[in-house]
Amino acid sequence: MFRITATMGLAAALALPSLAQAQQAPAPAWAQGRPDSMANSTLAPNAPKLTVTPPDQVPVGRIRLPEGFKAELWAHGMPGARMMALGSNGTIFVGTRTIGRVYAVTDQGGQRQVRVIAQGLKQPNGVAFRDGALYVVAINQVLRYDNIESKLDNPGTPVDLTSAFNLPTEEHHGWKFTTFGPDGKLYMQVGAPCNICEVDEDRHAILVRFNPDGSGREVVARGVRNSVGMAHHPQTGQLWFTNNGRDWAGEDEPEDTLGVVQRVGEHFGFPYCHAGTMQDPDVRGRQCSEFSPPALKLGPHTAALGMRFYTGSMFPAEYRNSMFIARHGSWNRTQRTGYDVVRVTLDAQGRPQMQPFLTGLLEGNTFHGRPTDVQQLPDGSLLVSDEQAGAIYRITYQR
Amino acid sequence: MRAARILGVAAVLAAAFASPTPAADAGRGRTLAEERHCTSCHGADGRSATPGVPSLAGMPEQVVVLQMIIMREGLRVVPAMMEFAKGLTDSQIEDLGAFFAGLPPGPPDDRGPPDPARMRAGAALSERLRCGACHLPDYRGREQMPRLAGQREDYLLHALTQYRDNQRTGTDTQMSGLLYGLSDADLAALAHYMAQQ
Repeated sequence: MFRITATMGLAAALALPSLAQAQQAPAPAWAQGRPDSMANSTLAPNAPKLTVTPPDQVPVGRIRLPEGFKAELWAHGMPGARMMALGSNGTIFVGTRTIGRVYAVTDQGGQRQVRVIAQGLKQPNGVAFRDGALYVVAINQVLRYDNIESKLDNPGTPVDLTSAFNLPTEEHHGWKFTTFGPDGKLYMQVGAPCNICEVDEDRHAILVRFNPDGSGREVVARGVRNSVGMAHHPQTGQLWFTNNGRDWAGEDEPEDTLGVVQRVGEHFGFPYCHAGTMQDPDVRGRQCSEFSPPALKLGPHTAALGMRFYTGSMFPAEYRNSMFIARHGSWNRTQRTGYDVVRVTLDAQGRPQMQPFLTGLLEGNTFHGRPTDVQQLPDGSLLVSDEQAGAIYRITYQR
Repeated sequence: MRAARILGVAAVLAAAFASPTPAADAGRGRTLAEERHCTSCHGADGRSATPGVPSLAGMPEQVVVLQMIIMREGLRVVPAMMEFAKGLTDSQIEDLGAFFAGLPPGPPDDRGPPDPARMRAGAALSERLRCGACHLPDYRGREQMPRLAGQREDYLLHALTQYRDNQRTGTDTQMSGLLYGLSDADLAALAHYMAQQ
């Protein structure tokens, strides 16, 4: 009864206003798929925080970690800090969404200096570093800052690769996660421009890779609603990715997922099937059995975002090659979930298991921080960005 | 692109913990609002008498803060506001938010009488679009979602039109999606209905 096609549904709504009023309100992306029974639900996306959080209000003291681990406030004063990339000289580059900035954090004699190296961009969430250059990916803009670490005080004009990449312009789920693969390609996602809708399977709800100059576009995976975190396994080279499940289909389902691409171009089910087993209540026509299931479920509405494999030697040996995944936290659920960092290990058969790692930022139904990405430093410590506090924590281990 | 600025240095944190930073302060916000002439257009009591300029009295604090930040950053371009937003610090903006949020809301003195036809159409549209889910059933707004009740009708129509025509982005794109395909008459009815609340 409720079936939205990104353009067709709206066109139909325009052509038949009386029918549209009766059946098919054009809803904003986040509200699409909301059943009539929840018409008056006041669940709504969390507001961003765009102002500086003074260091004494950054909730680092609330963080709980397994025995032997410690969290410190590593950098702060970066409203909207989200995805991180490590430069070859140790600079941490930080992307944002709403506030439109890219930050650079350098360590100077044990103290951190924060610079704004780009601003006024449209959701420059994606940052990646390769051969001395920083790649910044905004909604449909790709910028390359060559030799960036030698000119942080005056980055100058970047090389504009926007037309070469030719990314879609839709803003909803249009912010990018981006990372380089072992093949030297630049990987990113293009999310579905909706909560739930049918999409062009070569254009939206995909993982896609490019040569660094924007040529050689290749769809790596389809039917991925919105992945805001992906990383290649350090041994197998396979691409693992987080994926955000749809909203308004239940408090406890569908769950967010962790997937692994076994075959280039394979389809993970969106919008017909979620998390491998749940047929979509609104968009029908194809069966779950037609699609690749996820490797692991990551909890309902948890907003599993940035992820990295741990390859350092500071943490205990069993942490090697396990994944850290930042769960940004829910909005479409009465009792909030997520707001933490989980660790996913693979057993001898390669089967993943999830366990808590960083907790303490969700107190009852109140959240104090929103872990968004993780990034390992050369010394084996782990950085965790907190978008809500505009801060980065550093996790260390001492036996 | 403007030259890089140094935002802050993580100094000795122990020192920072010793003196908690004061929260947003409505008193400081009032002083600043007068100095910066916010009240000249938005009204001394936060109820705007200026066509096209929104009332801010009783506006959720976060609405003022977020909108000021994105105007300061050049992400939302409002020519009349550019000069005023320039150079404001984050904490000054938070003070302004606290000041306006604390003022008693109310309609402008020049609000006309309700028009029954547009009220009916506006109510039906609001029901269909579920405006009250985010802006709350009495449209007083919350968090990043502005108060609509008693807002200036001319401003509401302007804002709705900008959202529909993709000339304005908020802190996200929800409103553009919501209003896609609505007619000018629909927007006029919605603006009238909200202004009359």
